[in-house]
Amino acid sequence: MPEPAPALKRQSMTTRLLLAPGILWMALFLVLPILMIVYVSFWTQTTFNISPTPTLASWKAFFGSDTYTGALWTTLRLWLIILASTFIVGYPTALFVGLLVKSKTVSTVLLVICVIPFWTSFLIRVLAWRPMLGKEGAINIVLMKLHIISQPIEVLLFTELSVVIGMTQIYCVFMVGPIAFMLARIDRNIIEAARDLGAGFGRIFWKIIFPLSLPGVVVGAIFVSVMVLGEFATSAALSGRKVNLLGNIIVTQVGSLKWAMASVVGVILTVVMGIVIAGFLRIVDLKREL
Amino acid sequence: MQPGPEDEVVVETAVFRIEGLTRRYGDLLALDNATLEAGANEYISFLGPSGSGKTTLLRVIAGFETPDAGRVIFQGRDVTNVPAHERGIGFVFQNFALFPHLTVMKNVAFGLTHGKSGLSAADIDRRCREMIDMVGLSGMEDRGVDQISGGQRQRVALARTLTLRPRLVLLDEPLGALDANLRGRMRNELRAIRERLGVTFLHVTGSESEALAMGDRVVVLDRGRLIQTGTPAEVYDHPASPDVAHFLNRFNMFDGKLSGGSFTGAFGTAPAPVATRSPRDVYAVRYDRMRVLPLSARTDRPTLKARYIASEYLGSSIMSFFDAEGHVVEVEHHLSLGAPETYETRQEYLLSWNPEKAIVFGREVQ
Amino acid sequence: MESRILKPVLALYVALFLLFLYGPFVVLTILSFQQGPEGGPQFPIIEWSTYWYRQLFGLTPPSRIAPLPFGDALIRSLVLALMTMVVSTVLGVMSAQAFRRRFRGASLVFYLIVLGMMVPGVLTGLGTSLLANNIIGIERHWYTTAFATHVAYTYPFAFLVMLAILNRFDDSVEEASWSLGVDPWTTFRKVTFPLIFPGVLSAMLFAFTLSLDEFPRTLFASGRDQTLPLAIYGTFAVEIHPNIFAFGVLTTLFSFALLSVYGILMALSVRRARRLAMQEDIA
Repeated sequence: MPEPAPALKRQSMTTRLLLAPGILWMALFLVLPILMIVYVSFWTQTTFNISPTPTLASWKAFFGSDTYTGALWTTLRLWLIILASTFIVGYPTALFVGLLVKSKTVSTVLLVICVIPFWTSFLIRVLAWRPMLGKEGAINIVLMKLHIISQPIEVLLFTELSVVIGMTQIYCVFMVGPIAFMLARIDRNIIEAARDLGAGFGRIFWKIIFPLSLPGVVVGAIFVSVMVLGEFATSAALSGRKVNLLGNIIVTQVGSLKWAMASVVGVILTVVMGIVIAGFLRIVDLKREL
Repeated sequence: MQPGPEDEVVVETAVFRIEGLTRRYGDLLALDNATLEAGANEYISFLGPSGSGKTTLLRVIAGFETPDAGRVIFQGRDVTNVPAHERGIGFVFQNFALFPHLTVMKNVAFGLTHGKSGLSAADIDRRCREMIDMVGLSGMEDRGVDQISGGQRQRVALARTLTLRPRLVLLDEPLGALDANLRGRMRNELRAIRERLGVTFLHVTGSESEALAMGDRVVVLDRGRLIQTGTPAEVYDHPASPDVAHFLNRFNMFDGKLSGGSFTGAFGTAPAPVATRSPRDVYAVRYDRMRVLPLSARTDRPTLKARYIASEYLGSSIMSFFDAEGHVVEVEHHLSLGAPETYETRQEYLLSWNPEKAIVFGREVQ
Repeated sequence: MESRILKPVLALYVALFLLFLYGPFVVLTILSFQQGPEGGPQFPIIEWSTYWYRQLFGLTPPSRIAPLPFGDALIRSLVLALMTMVVSTVLGVMSAQAFRRRFRGASLVFYLIVLGMMVPGVLTGLGTSLLANNIIGIERHWYTTAFATHVAYTYPFAFLVMLAILNRFDDSVEEASWSLGVDPWTTFRKVTFPLIFPGVLSAMLFAFTLSLDEFPRTLFASGRDQTLPLAIYGTFAVEIHPNIFAFGVLTTLFSFALLSVYGILMALSVRRARRLAMQEDIA
């Protein structure tokens, strides 16, 4: 290769200067902290402190305890449930907003209406479910007024169900958005052409609409997964500490200064996360869909 | 349309020279060893089909792109590695690329205000008003560029470049976005401006008539190579290859075989004493060299039997289309030469031409 | 045929979906007008009152229920959100600008940046505080460690917004500016920036709101002084009173005010663009 021309050198210099601060920031405050978690997970825990003497004690403690491994299974179970529930709740809405609504304005307005709740603090949105789901909560009151039930349903609040309801409401919009976006990009002429050829809606949906919306589903699933896997606030606030996710374990461990154990859980969460995201990215190229 | 008698172009000093410019995009060779020289106050048209590398050539000269090999020399200085903003070469874009957030005045003053002109605000104002006046936009100084027409935008783009008094201005199909009427007017204005300011223009165009009408010299490009350079008359009368003849869009071209000083094609065999070397045997006759004779006519010139299809008026001339066994043959009749004859549709005629005026290409030529 | 059945059915579905989405907030708003200070955060409404709103502003006589300790936290959160907004938008614009050219390792850099929005907050928070405590040995503060994690979180969003904007940017206006003898930096200030400003505004809005509401990272990385979400989280553990509901309503209104300002600014630039398009049709 000949020496690159000065103009090219200048360009790559500019590129480097433009990228350097961002790369540096992410290396220092994102990559390094994650490596730090891995490192500290092998440190020795004393009562209120940690020291860098390498040990596997915390790892053994994690896999030896039903509480901790249980949290891993709960996290995975809840993640799958929320993934399914946000998809079931979100897809029809996205179908309506992205495809069936003919007017661009109406569809934009509907999307904005979906996003508006995000302007309330996340924690307050979580908290708002308490007066909804409680024994004397809004849902029970309405159902009793309608004479659908005679006794208030008690399993609504401070159970896994309440966590599922709360998370579904908070995260379903992340499904609706990407799916609606992909649906809106579908060329209507293809659907019309299929209809002219005598295909019914079911056939059109499964053969054309759903496959074309799949990248949106995957992007939505990535969003939901990222948020649900790292959750702890919703489960803490709505389950009455009955549902313990990996995130909850980290918080309580840090609260009692058990940094080494918190790190072990952190590493496990990172690994789960990595597998999930890598899996989704195999299905869809995020950079291309933008 | 017809290239008129050109004044002798006096190349005093080479204002600008490119040597062996080569630019690759991956496997695609956009520029292949392009070499060219331009004098002061010269108007050079680049003609070529899309993808021939003409825009790449301008962009390399302007400094928007770096060549893989070769040099750009401007006013005696090697500017190959000088960034675009330090070259002092003007550029007028096909889409005009006006600054949409600025007024006409601010667009025109942009280079003087934000560059290294060192002029006072009053001087800048005076110079810009002069320029705006020259391109006929007085009174529109404070309009947004979204509030003027396409032709006016084109003038803003020109004025913006010319206020800096560059010695070299590159025009990238600047008339392509205008309608035919406006295009003709802008063509005249460009020529007038150049005569007043003494600027060298390099004008890229995909339109052969524009290239022939505007340039002191025409450069024909194909697949990244400069395949012919010459005055419009030279190029028009002596295209260097079948490809050039094809781009000029002024020739009926016949495939056939050149052998022993005669060419055998769809029209039979015609004498071809003069021929140009080419990898393909092609016989080309300019549209306006064709004559239409009744089927019964006798002539010793080459003839081709063809069925009349239709005619089209082009203002100063009339174009007639004939079908010679699936091959469309065009005949141009200049109205200055007298009133056009009328032909009967689907009727057969003889098309004839002077074989000395035909342009012949062949493998056999040494 | 199918659309005649499908569309109304789905419309009804969407209506129920919106009820599900808005239900909790409606209930929260109703309960924020509960009578005070005796009324609890549940039905029935004993008597409609604005007691809890007045209590937020310290306009009620002291009672058994302490006012929410949100004043300082709110100011900290706003300052932190502003700092985060500025830094992550600058970083986002810079990186997106770099991505306009091809360069080796572009994919790697892209994923490194996007990683910031993918990694759960608990992990960044935990890692950063481990780093601060055990390696660097500094105290954690909302304006140091928490700030660093906030930017690492919001910068990817700003980056993606700017990337989308710059993808659609017409390079020739910049080239035109260079060919007029204007250097690249002045070109950026006088041409590029004014033209991408609507995108910059969106990036700023994203960064500001994400930071304002950020909770998991801040929980670990902020040290002693609380930000607003931490203060709200603090109330979870103790008994809830309708004052937190009233607070939720007010912050939502504040968000709306912010959104409106943004909406107006965007509408102005869109109207400008539309006028431009209309002129093009006439021309």
